[in-house]
Amino acid sequence: MTFRDAANREFPPFSTDGCIKCNVCNTVCPVARVTDLFPGPKYEGPQGQRFRVDGEASPDGSVDWCSGCGICTRACPTGVLIAETNNRARASMVATRGTSLRNRLISDTDLLIRLGVPIAPLANFGLRNRLLRWIGEKLLGVARRGPLHLFARRTFTSWWRRRPAVAVEPSAERAVVFFHGCAVNGFEPDLGRDAVEILERNGLSVIVPKQECCGLPFISNGLYDQARRKARANLAVLADYARRGYRIVGTSTSCTHALKAEYREMLDLDDADARAVADATWDICELLVELHDEGRLDTRFGPMPMDLPYHPPCQLKSHGIGTPAMDLFALVPGLRAVDSNHDCCGAAGTYGLKVERWQIAQDVGRGLFDKVRASGASVAACDSETCRWQIESSTGVRTRHPIEILAESYRVYAAG
Amino acid sequence: MPTYDAVVIGAGLAGLSAGIGLAEAGARVFVAGKGMGATHWAHGGVDVGDVEALSRRRGHPYARFGDAVGPALTAHLARLAAAGLPYRGSPGDTPRLVPTAVGGLRPAAILPEAQAAGLQPWAGGEGLLMLGIDRFKDVWAQMAARNLARQRWPDGPAEVRWAVAELPWVERLHNLTALELARLFDDPDWRARALAQVRAALPDGTWRIGLPAVLGLARHAEVFAEARETLGAPIFEIPSLPPSVPGIRLFEALRERLLAAGGRFQFGFGVVKVERSADHVVAVHTQGASRTLRLAASEFVLATGGIAGGGLRATADGMISERVFGLAVEAPPQAEWLVDDPLAEQPLESAGVRVDARLRPAGVRNVRVIGSMLAGQRYLSERCGDGVALASAQRAVQLLSARSAWSSVRNVAS
Repeated sequence: MTFRDAANREFPPFSTDGCIKCNVCNTVCPVARVTDLFPGPKYEGPQGQRFRVDGEASPDGSVDWCSGCGICTRACPTGVLIAETNNRARASMVATRGTSLRNRLISDTDLLIRLGVPIAPLANFGLRNRLLRWIGEKLLGVARRGPLHLFARRTFTSWWRRRPAVAVEPSAERAVVFFHGCAVNGFEPDLGRDAVEILERNGLSVIVPKQECCGLPFISNGLYDQARRKARANLAVLADYARRGYRIVGTSTSCTHALKAEYREMLDLDDADARAVADATWDICELLVELHDEGRLDTRFGPMPMDLPYHPPCQLKSHGIGTPAMDLFALVPGLRAVDSNHDCCGAAGTYGLKVERWQIAQDVGRGLFDKVRASGASVAACDSETCRWQIESSTGVRTRHPIEILAESYRVYAAG
Repeated sequence: MPTYDAVVIGAGLAGLSAGIGLAEAGARVFVAGKGMGATHWAHGGVDVGDVEALSRRRGHPYARFGDAVGPALTAHLARLAAAGLPYRGSPGDTPRLVPTAVGGLRPAAILPEAQAAGLQPWAGGEGLLMLGIDRFKDVWAQMAARNLARQRWPDGPAEVRWAVAELPWVERLHNLTALELARLFDDPDWRARALAQVRAALPDGTWRIGLPAVLGLARHAEVFAEARETLGAPIFEIPSLPPSVPGIRLFEALRERLLAAGGRFQFGFGVVKVERSADHVVAVHTQGASRTLRLAASEFVLATGGIAGGGLRATADGMISERVFGLAVEAPPQAEWLVDDPLAEQPLESAGVRVDARLRPAGVRNVRVIGSMLAGQRYLSERCGDGVALASAQRAVQLLSARSAWSSVRNVAS
């Protein structure tokens, strides 16, 4: 019985004893594939772990080059949680040695949105201005060519608040809680509106409770205390809904994976609240496929005759839910979606934004970018936001969430 | 309404081949792998064993479908050639000896093109040069050459020598593995410099050159052609310790084909729950980040491997269990599991699940068992593992395709 098999998974598991030194994880690591700065997940994980003591810094700093994609954990034939082990090692390093202002800043997406959205025209001028980006790179270490998305002029939540309020909260069978995450709130509110439209079209009212960033950027940067504050704030709100039977749905496979797994696997928040929220959380495409299996999905999709390169992001693959977007694309007449069969786009949340990692992120994603460009398609699709931004900025091909493609298809149908 | 026509559990040679065959036949198929393994640990060649003799052995899987080995192999090799991974040899070829990384000899009939020049016979006056790579500690050319010189090797080389080449830049790596070397060879600039240094390390004479299997991954065909040309001699790759570069090439070619044929593929999550109704399986559930993934299908293919692959679990109390469906396992008594000589045939190897002519285990109507999980074979010592995997996979595809007009639900359901 390996840890991944355990019906009732316990966290945090010490799983490195399961390592048989077969090196399979090293063969699939996209970072080790392109740089020798990161020797590979086996050396960092099961082997490095022997030298680590709780509360002390990891003796080898190279673990910080891990991008956290999680492919090693999935490839391991004996169930060792390699990526999780390495992320914890990074966190203990950050806890003892500290980290840069840059890492603290780009992890704090709620703060960035609070500052950026009210002055969106100005902030976006800065994001588009080469000189200012160059200065940002020199002063802060944020790669001038890193895939930063422009701020929305209005947050998703401010749009949501202006919708007519529902007098009675709908019952759990007929409603879902929408976890919009910071990307939808501050950068891509249109995606949030499409998600609401699709959920409502399929008979589900949408509840948008007050929420904060899921905390994943802090987790990826080893800032566990800050991540725990975000996690606790979200759990305090979401656990109550979860217990009352509401499903929690998100468009970001990164945020939803944090709710499902990382709060428990990395932040040691393995209490009843965290378990209730994990059990209630759904990726939106996962939920739509479930509705379809139950015969409840509105399948009146309008034709969208085109080739669509689709990249299933690493975080989605860590959900263990297959590729639900591919199932949904198959319902759209004329749409020919092609799985990228590429491991990782390289962005890995904030990784590709860091000046010293930008090139690594580009090299990791190169095969994907080549495929997307070679497809000749004018649109690509991907479920996680920073991956979309990475693909779009590296290929020039507009990259959208599967939900946006489906919403468009519904509109085509409606237009007759 | 089942979501899939067929769910294949296991992503080794048998599982991937079955998945590809089913997808090509128009089935909606999902291949669920727990992790990677089998292909990444093997040498990349195709071992089918003595098909004729094993087909006569009572209880051996070949007794049921030995005749399928030839056609399955032909289809497999055609598939790989189309993917840019050509093999040499055909079904029915007599195995010939080929050198190993420690200087042993093993019989092989069907090898990747890049390994084929290591086969007998050697021309008169033709020597073997075992080429090592400085700092690469998985293959010691000197030791291998010394051991090979002591082997009984009919039609072998006139002389065995060794040389070690220094390659550019590699001193900067933390740890030089076959994987890192293969990736370096994919880079045209580094490769040109490296091959020039290898050529400079070659002694005069007429040689075939045996070198570690590191000649590229994504661009292997190009690397191999260039190496052969630059070195001006027949060369052959020798697989070394895991991770196996030839095995990774094989896995990648099969995965690409599976996805291109419309199959779904997931790895990282094992089956944790099975839904049954009377004598058939309704769905399996794979572990997920929070909830399980329910995979409902009309047919299930079990390709989880034997004890090494993780499909069977042996415990200290002498129990051997099949881990997905809990099928009855046929095995020798615990006292006879292993013999003292580690290189001898181990009785435990023959443990597995007994099936009927339609590859079905007792008591379940819609499960087909393929690959190393099948009882009665000794896939290592009889060297029949790949043959059993390919032939049983193809047989399963034929049986299922004949039975079901695939619902042609390319969509999720209808």
